[in-house]
Amino acid sequence: MPRSLPEALSLLEAHSPELLVMAGGTVAMPLINDGISLPEAVMGLRFAGLDRLERSGDTLRIGATATLTQLLNQDAVPMLREAARNTAGWSIRNMGTVGGNLFTPPPGGDVAVALLALDASVTLASTRGKRVLPIAEFQTGFMTNALAPDELLVEISVPIRSEPTAYLKFGRKHANTPAVVTVAARIEWDGEQVAVARIALGAVGPHPIRARRAEELLVGTGLGAGAIAAAAAAAVEECEPFTDGIATEWYRRKMVGLFVGRALEQLAAGAAGEGR
Amino acid sequence: MNIRGSHTLNAPRASVFAAICDPDVLLGVIPGCREIEQTGDAEYHGLISLRLPGIVGTYRTIVRLVDAEAPSVGKLEGEVEGSLGTIKGLATFRLAESGSGTRIDYEGHAAIGGPLARLDGRFIEGLAASLINQGLRNLDTRLQGDHPARVATDRGQQTRETRA
Repeated sequence: MPRSLPEALSLLEAHSPELLVMAGGTVAMPLINDGISLPEAVMGLRFAGLDRLERSGDTLRIGATATLTQLLNQDAVPMLREAARNTAGWSIRNMGTVGGNLFTPPPGGDVAVALLALDASVTLASTRGKRVLPIAEFQTGFMTNALAPDELLVEISVPIRSEPTAYLKFGRKHANTPAVVTVAARIEWDGEQVAVARIALGAVGPHPIRARRAEELLVGTGLGAGAIAAAAAAAVEECEPFTDGIATEWYRRKMVGLFVGRALEQLAAGAAGEGR
Repeated sequence: MNIRGSHTLNAPRASVFAAICDPDVLLGVIPGCREIEQTGDAEYHGLISLRLPGIVGTYRTIVRLVDAEAPSVGKLEGEVEGSLGTIKGLATFRLAESGSGTRIDYEGHAAIGGPLARLDGRFIEGLAASLINQGLRNLDTRLQGDHPARVATDRGQQTRETRA
C-alpha cells in the first residue's frame, strides 16, 4: 500500500510484471474470489494520493483513483455526472474508480464512453517519467491498453466545455444494469453548421469506440433529420457488437442505430432551442 | 476456443514469412514477450508476461512451426503454461500476395485448462483476438522499419471472427 506516487512507481518497477495493481478492486476482486486470478503480489493504490478531482482552468483533472461517487458529485462536466450516475449502483460507485473504469471490459466501461466523446487525455507515469495520450489511443483492444509494464495510469484530464452533450445508456433495467449500448455525443457548432462531432459507443466493440465515419458525415451539416439518419446508419456499420447474456450482436447493432439517432436528435433539439 | 481472422501487412510475402520464423522479430512483436529462444529447427521456447485488468502472470510458451511451405503456408502448434492454467492450440496461416503487400489468413483452435478455463469464453476469445491483432500490427510496423509502439493503436485493415 504505497503512500505516494513515487513509492507506487518504484514498487511497480521492482515487481512488474507479477504485481497486480488494484484501486477500487471492483474488477480484480471478483476474479480473485473466483480463483481465476492468483496474483503473487498486489499493490493497492487507495493511499497513493491519486484520488483528487479538481478544476484547473478549463480542465477537470481527475486522479486515477477518484471514485465514481466523486465523479457523480462534481458539476464541472455534466456528461461525466450522467455517466457516473449510469454506472453500477451506489456500493460499486463508492469503491470503483474512474481510472479503473478504463480497464473494465465491455459491456462495462460506461465512463470511458463519455471520456472518449469529451476528448479526454490520460497521463501515464513510470520511474522514467510521464507521458500524455489521447484517451482514444489508450485502449488498444479487448482488455489490452497502451500501458508499458512499468507504467501506471495516474490522471485523466477532461476539457471543460460549454456546448450541450448527450449521454444515453440503454440496458435491460432502469438502473444498475450492464449496457446493451451506451452512446455519448457532442457537437461543436460553427454558426449553423456542425464543426466538430464526437460520437462514442460502449458495449459494441472490444472497448469503447468512436464512430468516426458517423462523425465525419455530420461535419458541415445542420444536424437535420437526413444527416442524423446517415450518421446513425454509419455507426451501425462501423460498430463491432458481440453477443453475451445481456443482448445478441444483432440486437446491439439495431440499438446502436436507434440510440445514436436519439442522442443526435437531443443535440439538434437543444441547438434549435438556442436559435440555431 | 476457435479463432479466425485476416490482416493485411505492407511487406512482401517472403519478408513476412521470414519474420514469422525469426526469434528476434518475434521477441519484438509478440505482446508481452520477454524471452524467446529457438530450440530446434522450427521450435521456439518463450516467456510471455501479460498485465491484464485483474489478471497478471507469466506464461511459458512452446511453439513449433510444422508443415511449413515457405512463403505461403504454415502451421503452428503451441502450448502455453502458467499458474493460471494451460492453453494448447493449433493454428494454420496462409500468406497471399495482395498488391505490394501480403494478406495473412489464420485459423486455429485451442483447448484451455485450469483456472483460466473458468473465465467466460467471450473473454478468452476477445483477448486472443486482441493480442493477435496487436502482434500483427507490431509485425507490420517492424517490417516497415518503425518502432512497434508508434502504431500500436492503429487498427489497420483487419477482420476477425471467434466462436466458442
